[in-house]
Amino acid sequence: MMRRTWWIYLIAVLGLVAVAAPFVWMLLGSFKTQGELLQVPPTWLPQNATTENYDALFSKANFPRYFLNSGVVALVVTAGNLTFCSMIGYALAKLNFKGRNGLFVLVMATLMIPGMVTFVPLFVLVTNAGLANSYPGLILPFLVSPFGVFLMRQFFLGLPDDLIDAGRVDGSSELGIFARIMLPLTRPALATLGILTFLGSWNNFLWPLVIAQTEDKYTLPVALALYSTGQNAQNFGLLMAGAVVVVVPVLVIFLAFQRHVTKGIAITGLK
Amino acid sequence: MFTHSIRRRLVIGCVLALTLAACGRSADTPEAGGQATTTVSDGPATGDLTVWAMGTEGENLPKLMEQFQQANPGAKVTVTPIPWDAAHNKFTTAITAQSLPDAAMVGSTWMGEFADLGALDPTPQGFDNAAFFPGALDTTKVKGVQYGVPWYVETRLVYYRKDLATKAGITTPPTDWAGLKAMAKAMKDKAGAKCGINLQPGGTGSWQTVMPFAWSAGAEITADDQKTFTLDTPAMQEGLQYFQSFFTDKVACTDLPPNQTEAQFVNGTAPMFISGPWMAGSVAKAGGDAMKPNIGVFQLPKNKTATSFVGGSNFVVFKNSKNKDSAWKLVKWLSEEKTQAAWYKLSTDLPAVKSAWQDPSIASDPLLPVFGKQLEDAKAPPSIVNWEQVAVAFDTEIEKMVKAGQSPADTAKAIQTKASQIGTGGS
Repeated sequence: MMRRTWWIYLIAVLGLVAVAAPFVWMLLGSFKTQGELLQVPPTWLPQNATTENYDALFSKANFPRYFLNSGVVALVVTAGNLTFCSMIGYALAKLNFKGRNGLFVLVMATLMIPGMVTFVPLFVLVTNAGLANSYPGLILPFLVSPFGVFLMRQFFLGLPDDLIDAGRVDGSSELGIFARIMLPLTRPALATLGILTFLGSWNNFLWPLVIAQTEDKYTLPVALALYSTGQNAQNFGLLMAGAVVVVVPVLVIFLAFQRHVTKGIAITGLK
Repeated sequence: MFTHSIRRRLVIGCVLALTLAACGRSADTPEAGGQATTTVSDGPATGDLTVWAMGTEGENLPKLMEQFQQANPGAKVTVTPIPWDAAHNKFTTAITAQSLPDAAMVGSTWMGEFADLGALDPTPQGFDNAAFFPGALDTTKVKGVQYGVPWYVETRLVYYRKDLATKAGITTPPTDWAGLKAMAKAMKDKAGAKCGINLQPGGTGSWQTVMPFAWSAGAEITADDQKTFTLDTPAMQEGLQYFQSFFTDKVACTDLPPNQTEAQFVNGTAPMFISGPWMAGSVAKAGGDAMKPNIGVFQLPKNKTATSFVGGSNFVVFKNSKNKDSAWKLVKWLSEEKTQAAWYKLSTDLPAVKSAWQDPSIASDPLLPVFGKQLEDAKAPPSIVNWEQVAVAFDTEIEKMVKAGQSPADTAKAIQTKASQIGTGGS
């Protein structure tokens, strides 16, 4: 048995190395000095491990603030997407009303327009609404995503109508059917949507950059770009240390949700 | 005004959608104006002011603003630091939505574009323009109108390893074109360097090394009206020819790993390069204390002139500021000799005001005074809207010349053709 499968492990290990090596390099690099990072040939292990990059990072007075901003924005955006996308997706998949297909086409159409095209009009709109430099300005434009609606609709389509009928026969309200019967069944889709939305919001750079007019509304990626990139030189060590700090919450979120994602794949396989 | 702002928004929309080429160039008449006749009132600045500044400047500026607020107790300045990488995007978006600060630091190559969008306020009377380095002052002028003032400057010098130069038998730095080439050759032949001098073989920003040679040979990027390019001239070809000859004579290499100038300088692979003042610090960082006394700089060698590149940033006031008078007072205060010297100590940015270089903190530095001398003869590209696009074409042609052996004459012709197709831009 072992003889036949050893090469599968070999390929898996090679894949793991390819995926993990940049992260290990980033982690080790965050303990190197700028001189060592630029050294040729490059080194793996830090020769003189130093925490000066982390010291520099956390000595920037506002660092906890950027972390808080990023966290608040990402969590609210994720919560909004989970709530609204599932509601809209459910309506588009399971409720019969006039113009349903037209609405769905409209949602799909917005999915096909590249974000860069709507970027400036969106910015003008948000600014004219007086939301520049505020949390609502950072959050509102991303509270519902057409992609999320599409994802949830497709998932709801795969669930049998009989469940809804059974709920109605037993006298549950329409909201009750949605919240207590249908929504719990979409947990794998919700987990996927949650991870993708959180990642997207956490890493978003351009929007927070233009909408935040003062430093106290900056998010982590903006602050990181601010402190590590100069006009003529980059502070690579600081960049690595910052990237490590930025990656940690994403890893935590992923570990928390990944069980559900794999479960989702398993369920789809059984159908 | 209505149609004007619509046009402005369209222009920016196009920039952000990366489809600039698809936007027609309107034949609008330029905004009425000419030299501003307004003046800044006397007395201290008052009210709230918001200021944008990039990178480390944005980080350090609040410390300087404390001094300003002490002198002007009625004023409150809020500084927003902006990442360099994305500052251009942030400015153009903010110009579109008219959500700009009162004043800001602006990269000298963006002046043409922002002025063309009608975002900048012309500099009022009462600034001592003769106090600034002439090359830096030129970057504030767009089609004859001055917007803002130079804030800090940088220029390019030849860096060399003193110890290796001695080994190569060179005791005094060269002053002419032949001398520079001979020195690089000696570094290679006698001091064991793989490449005598580290020159960028094309690619982003290589025009900044090539243009100084062309300027020194008497070339200009545009005619005086800043509307027609003059890139295919004998002087331009001479500059290109000189640059190319470093590669054809094998004293510069095309195969050096890029972006490792400091390391290659320290380990002796390429003991000479041409760059700005920030490199003194990063070379010392890469090489440690032992390297410091071995870093030498000298001015660019002379042909007709010995012209270098001047970069840096300007300080501008935006047209839609509600507190313009106080904003200009801030700008005026920033360009005072004392403030400029204080700013150098906070940021190590080199003063744009000539007299500030007398300050002992600069005058006693082993390398900095050479930069000061070079700044007397340093130029920037004209403030035209499309310069960044022309620069990309320029860089590509340099790469063809260096790596594929395209002749300097063909290169000059190709740059001129491409630049003319792109146009100077603007209304």
